[in-house]
Amino acid sequence: MRSRDGDQSFTRTISSIIFLLLYSSALFADEYIISYRYSVKNATLYNETLYVSKAMKKCKGKPYNPLILNPQKSENLKEILLANQEEFIEFLYKIGLSVKHQEKSLNGVNESSTTLTLPSKCFKVDFNDNFVKIAPLK
Amino acid sequence: MKYSLVLATLLSVASFAAQKTDTATTQVEPAPSHITVVCPTGSCTKPAEVQKVEVINPVEISKPKVEKKPAPKPQDDVLDAQHNLLISVVGQGVAPVNTSSPAQAYALAKRAAVADAYRLIAEKVKGVRIDGQDLIKNMMVKRSTVRTSVQAMVRNANIVETTFKEGLCEVEMEINLSRAQFPQ
Repeated sequence: MRSRDGDQSFTRTISSIIFLLLYSSALFADEYIISYRYSVKNATLYNETLYVSKAMKKCKGKPYNPLILNPQKSENLKEILLANQEEFIEFLYKIGLSVKHQEKSLNGVNESSTTLTLPSKCFKVDFNDNFVKIAPLK
Repeated sequence: MKYSLVLATLLSVASFAAQKTDTATTQVEPAPSHITVVCPTGSCTKPAEVQKVEVINPVEISKPKVEKKPAPKPQDDVLDAQHNLLISVVGQGVAPVNTSSPAQAYALAKRAAVADAYRLIAEKVKGVRIDGQDLIKNMMVKRSTVRTSVQAMVRNANIVETTFKEGLCEVEMEINLSRAQFPQ
């Protein structure tokens, strides 16, 4: 007959499996650096760029104000963000964008250029089967 | 003849009584501040000269004159510790000419309108830098240039309403400012 804690290797294996299961979400939570910019010239959209890169070193800060997106059967964050473009851009408006506007009037003829920029910011992204949770770090 | 005289006296008495009752019932209007008096032709230097006479109420003369200061208007566009400031703007954007679908045109026009709204918020909150230059040669303006620029960071702006009509998109945006957001 085996004692209660006689098989120590078995107990260790079970506890490591439980540990892995508990921290699986943390293992799949990645940190990404995202920057976004678009330019408007004479009231017409001119250029739009979205840069997504995995963080090369750990970011500081705590996640706040998360956004949940539909992964659309993709595991690439940029594809997911482009597929949920409207929600993501509304989310960026809340986070805050830098505005740079220049207007020139030459002999009464007006030209304007406005650029909205999200400076490079670290986001924590949790990939799940049915949803992707993305939150900026502060 | 006798009867006619009696009738005439009765009529005059009746008309007099009617005048009395009229004066008794009608309310006296307040005296106007200015009365125009046309001089009789003999007394004025020029015939039919018009003079202005100011009539002052005797009650007003007895009272000491107190100058009424205009009440201070509440300054709506000043941010203080007690009140938040709500700034509302309407940005406009146009869809590009070559779009593949009306939905794409709407999305692009909306983005341009949001950028315009952000610019308006930044202009209101932070201000605008303006540079002007005029080149005048032989007493004629050769070139007139006005440059304006705005640079700011806008957070927590909300889209209130979006309308899209005939290729023009209008976005109404609001931002709620409180004094706590600006560290002293």
